[in-house]
Amino acid sequence: MTTLLIILPLAAAVVIWVLPLNRVSAGSLALLAALAEVGIWIQMLARFDFGRGGLQFSQHRSWFSDLHVSYHVGVYAFSVWLVGLTVVVMAACIAYAFWAGREKARAYFGLMLFLDAAIVGVFTAQDLLLFYAFFEAMMIPLYVLVGVWGGPGRIGATLKFVIYTMAGSLLMLASVIVYGLSKNTFDLTQIGTSGSTWIFLGFAAAFAIKAPLFPFHGWLPDAYRESSPEVSAVLSGVVSKAAVYGFLRIGVAKFPGPTHDLRPLILALAAAGLVYGSLLAFRAPDFRGVVAYSSLAQMGLITFGVFAVNDLGLTGSVLQMVNHGLISTTLFLLAGMVERRTTTGELGRLGGMARGRPVLATVLMTTGIIALAVPLSSAFAGEFLILAGVFQRGWGWAVVGAAAMVLAAMYMLRLISAVLHRDPGPAVTDAALDLRPAELGVTAPLIACLLALSAWPAAISGHSFPRNVAAVDVACGFQKLPPSNVHFYCR
Amino acid sequence: MITGAWICLLSPLVAAILVTLAGTRLSRRGAAYLSTASCFAAFGGALTSFVGLLGEHEHERHHLSTAWTWIQGGSYRSGFAVLVDPLSVMMMLIVSGVGALIVAYSIGYMDGDSEERRYFAYMSLFVFSMLLLVQGGNLILLLAGWGMVGLSSYLLIGFWHERPSAVAAAKKAFVMNAIGDATMALALFLLIQKTGTLSFGALNAAHGSWVVNLVALGLLGGAVAKSAQLPLHTWLPDAMEGPTPVSALIHAATMVTAGVYLIVRTHVIFEAAPKVQDVAAGLGTATLLLAGLIALAQVDIKRVIAYSTMSQIGYMFLGAGLGAYANGMFHLMTHAFFKALLFMAAGIVIHALGGEQDMRKMGGLAERMPRVRLAFFIASLALVGIFPFAGFFSKDSILAAAMNHGTYGYILWVAGLAGTFLTGLYTFRMFFLVFGGEQSAFVREHFHALKRDVVGVSMGATVAVLTVLSLIGGWIQWAPLWHPVETWLAAVAEPLVSPTNWDEAISSVLALALGLSGIGVAWLLYGARRVAVPHVPFWQRTLERKFYFDELYDALFYTPSVFVANAFASWIERPLILGSSREIGEETRDLGGVFARLQTGLLRTYALAIASSLAVLAIVFVAVK
Repeated sequence: MTTLLIILPLAAAVVIWVLPLNRVSAGSLALLAALAEVGIWIQMLARFDFGRGGLQFSQHRSWFSDLHVSYHVGVYAFSVWLVGLTVVVMAACIAYAFWAGREKARAYFGLMLFLDAAIVGVFTAQDLLLFYAFFEAMMIPLYVLVGVWGGPGRIGATLKFVIYTMAGSLLMLASVIVYGLSKNTFDLTQIGTSGSTWIFLGFAAAFAIKAPLFPFHGWLPDAYRESSPEVSAVLSGVVSKAAVYGFLRIGVAKFPGPTHDLRPLILALAAAGLVYGSLLAFRAPDFRGVVAYSSLAQMGLITFGVFAVNDLGLTGSVLQMVNHGLISTTLFLLAGMVERRTTTGELGRLGGMARGRPVLATVLMTTGIIALAVPLSSAFAGEFLILAGVFQRGWGWAVVGAAAMVLAAMYMLRLISAVLHRDPGPAVTDAALDLRPAELGVTAPLIACLLALSAWPAAISGHSFPRNVAAVDVACGFQKLPPSNVHFYCR
Repeated sequence: MITGAWICLLSPLVAAILVTLAGTRLSRRGAAYLSTASCFAAFGGALTSFVGLLGEHEHERHHLSTAWTWIQGGSYRSGFAVLVDPLSVMMMLIVSGVGALIVAYSIGYMDGDSEERRYFAYMSLFVFSMLLLVQGGNLILLLAGWGMVGLSSYLLIGFWHERPSAVAAAKKAFVMNAIGDATMALALFLLIQKTGTLSFGALNAAHGSWVVNLVALGLLGGAVAKSAQLPLHTWLPDAMEGPTPVSALIHAATMVTAGVYLIVRTHVIFEAAPKVQDVAAGLGTATLLLAGLIALAQVDIKRVIAYSTMSQIGYMFLGAGLGAYANGMFHLMTHAFFKALLFMAAGIVIHALGGEQDMRKMGGLAERMPRVRLAFFIASLALVGIFPFAGFFSKDSILAAAMNHGTYGYILWVAGLAGTFLTGLYTFRMFFLVFGGEQSAFVREHFHALKRDVVGVSMGATVAVLTVLSLIGGWIQWAPLWHPVETWLAAVAEPLVSPTNWDEAISSVLALALGLSGIGVAWLLYGARRVAVPHVPFWQRTLERKFYFDELYDALFYTPSVFVANAFASWIERPLILGSSREIGEETRDLGGVFARLQTGLLRTYALAIASSLAVLAIVFVAVK
């Protein structure tokens, strides 16, 4: 089933590339494949045994036996949710792209499906080299998607993006090889922990750039602004989660020693990113800028949770990854919808869009208030767990986080007002219609997911790590460590 | 009983969702009726809970109904639970009862507004949020309701979103409340760390002096923000940008009373941290004086009432901080009656004058609307605390409680009495300015009476009900003689102070005398105009500028954060982070240029390179061997 999740979009991509389909049939085939992914995932979720925990739906084939590299995929309880996030977000983005109509449709949808497969691969790979392969396979379509279908500044954005991520990837490749060869296996379930700070830093560099963490976010503003909205949505919604997943699955789990030693540094970077991103989001001049920098802030928050390395922090960060994935996808798609109507995302030229556009106003308002983590929303539940977790590592971190909650309120309300309220801005004409049914059809399921999670955040936070084993143990090496070790490394 | 509580909680939410989803398929009036009906259904649910509790023994009146596990992280978990006990039922009755009246009044007030549906969806959401706050069975649900109340107030204050001032006021209210939410969240983190749970029962387990003090401080931060007490009060007067029934809802039934409820609900923590209790009482007292003074200089009728709310909540904080929980809660209840009445009567005045709120343009309305004047008069007397109106019974017991708290208590007592004088003065200044004297030119030109259709009936009937409540609502408890409220709440929060009958009598007499003299001065200055209003420019300016709190906060917080944000953008983000990658790009290109120069395309260069490389390799191999 896991393999099916990877193969299906790949096969669909190949079909789209090979067959001379026209725009409509290429788009509908892609959408069909993306929806089928969602269906398969729901099956997987229904059949997943949360009581048991551990690796499920796993498949194992030897690949290079002399190097002990294998094709090994499977899902843990927490990765089920991330796979779910991926397939849902990809379906929404493909649907939006289909509706908005992208040029060179066959190439475009093929790449999107390829990306879908690669991201699912990242979340399910249980072999280090396979993980690396999927991680890189995820980047290639993104380079093309940003560089070919982006806005006017797309070449510069792509160049930066490539340089940054390549630098990270090479460091990670070195770490993968050294780590795997030294342990004589690449299988993540057997590889055991390592105490090497250098290997850890190689992985951390790749993940910190990809997430991104402050100050490795130089590629972020341009990439998020210049891509087409659905590609920005994928970038900030799921690709960034792949990096945090890496921190969780490899960084924290395989390197308890370095995690412990470097925790103050990483938490400090996360805190800096949280405040810095929030402040820049507060002054960003355009819709996407606000969402981009708020993503930076949110990645800092999620990193907080991961590196708190305790039950509260880890469960909270898994929940918040899903929340933020859904939120930023919706916001980027909404940014695209607003830009379509007004030809600009500049907040100074927008305004007054609520009058006469009740659907747009309701959708943007709902997403915005969930994004600013109003209590009772799922984002609040995630933030609350994360900060409660990091509070136990030092109350100062939680104070920074609490201050960032206030800043989040400031920048999201600024965004909402600037788009919806006051008198109509110069770019807002009567020709700017309310959301079309198709656009509502793309955003409504995402918001419905968020509302459902708001009613029951424990659906994820209570089903991310096996019930009877503390999340700490799980995260500190998915094979059992002696209890004393756990205590020494992770407390 | 439990079912009643769930109906009470969920029916306004259902109405809000239905109105939102139905969109234009539901007529405007339909939305209004649906929303009103849901609030009355909530009141019905609250009543069944109340009756259910009445039939039980005093010590059995505590029911927690958990529907599902709402949030979970490791061993910590909190359910989506409603709590039915005397305190929550009392709040449910007030919130849903007064809330339903206000929503019913809105049918008339908002009639003809182009976005009525949105308005009623928000109103229902507001009532739901407040009910969640008071019914939430653990601290995180309380915080959830807390935040939802902030959100609903944001939506409603900014309801007329084309007005920049309304949008700004809404944002200010939300951010101020978010600060309170943040300090409360920090208190909860500490509780989780120390006790591992957020149930109300765990509050007893939070031992250790510094822990308790910090938790109490965090909770107090939330309470102060939500109840618009010093120093987080500046959002409340600006919140008058919303429609008048919204003001009534915020001030009477929901929102600002939440702080008092929080202190009573978590009184165990506050009792373990007596210093924080004193801070709460002190902040309440300072607020009641400050707000009373500012109210003297305001010209907007709604703002005067807003400041009077701040001042009255100050009394409640004083009571709750001293441990006179029942007195604070009782004042909360009577205040809900007469404050809703004041706003709604003022709303009729504003409605009749085509939206004008400036009292300087009013005057002489007594002839035009005698019944509104009567309602307003009763509400004013109740606010000042004149016998036998509602405020008299509740406010004076708070003052009496202050006499039982040592020297500090006496200071607060004197301040509270001074506040009574101020209340009389500013309330009747407003009354005389609006209703007294000759009809102003503005009134003669713009006045139009209410019609006897749905609009008039919905507004008139609800005002009448509240008038009756303001008349008789206080008789429920008369401290020295009978005290059912205190008995009712004793199981939840045993009062810390027990004033003697002498304290009650002295406080009552003094408060009555001071209140009456305040009214008398107001009559001299504004009613009969026997004495000219004293003119002290410095004080007038200070009061009009509200003691410069807005300017201070702008300078202390807003300007620095904008400055830091701009500094980050122009000194770090652009040159270092975005610039550095450009430099990397240029470096790479330069390096590429260097290597490109090697690709000469001349065969002899390549041959030379290959030959020399081979030579080097050969030498290396020989040397190593």
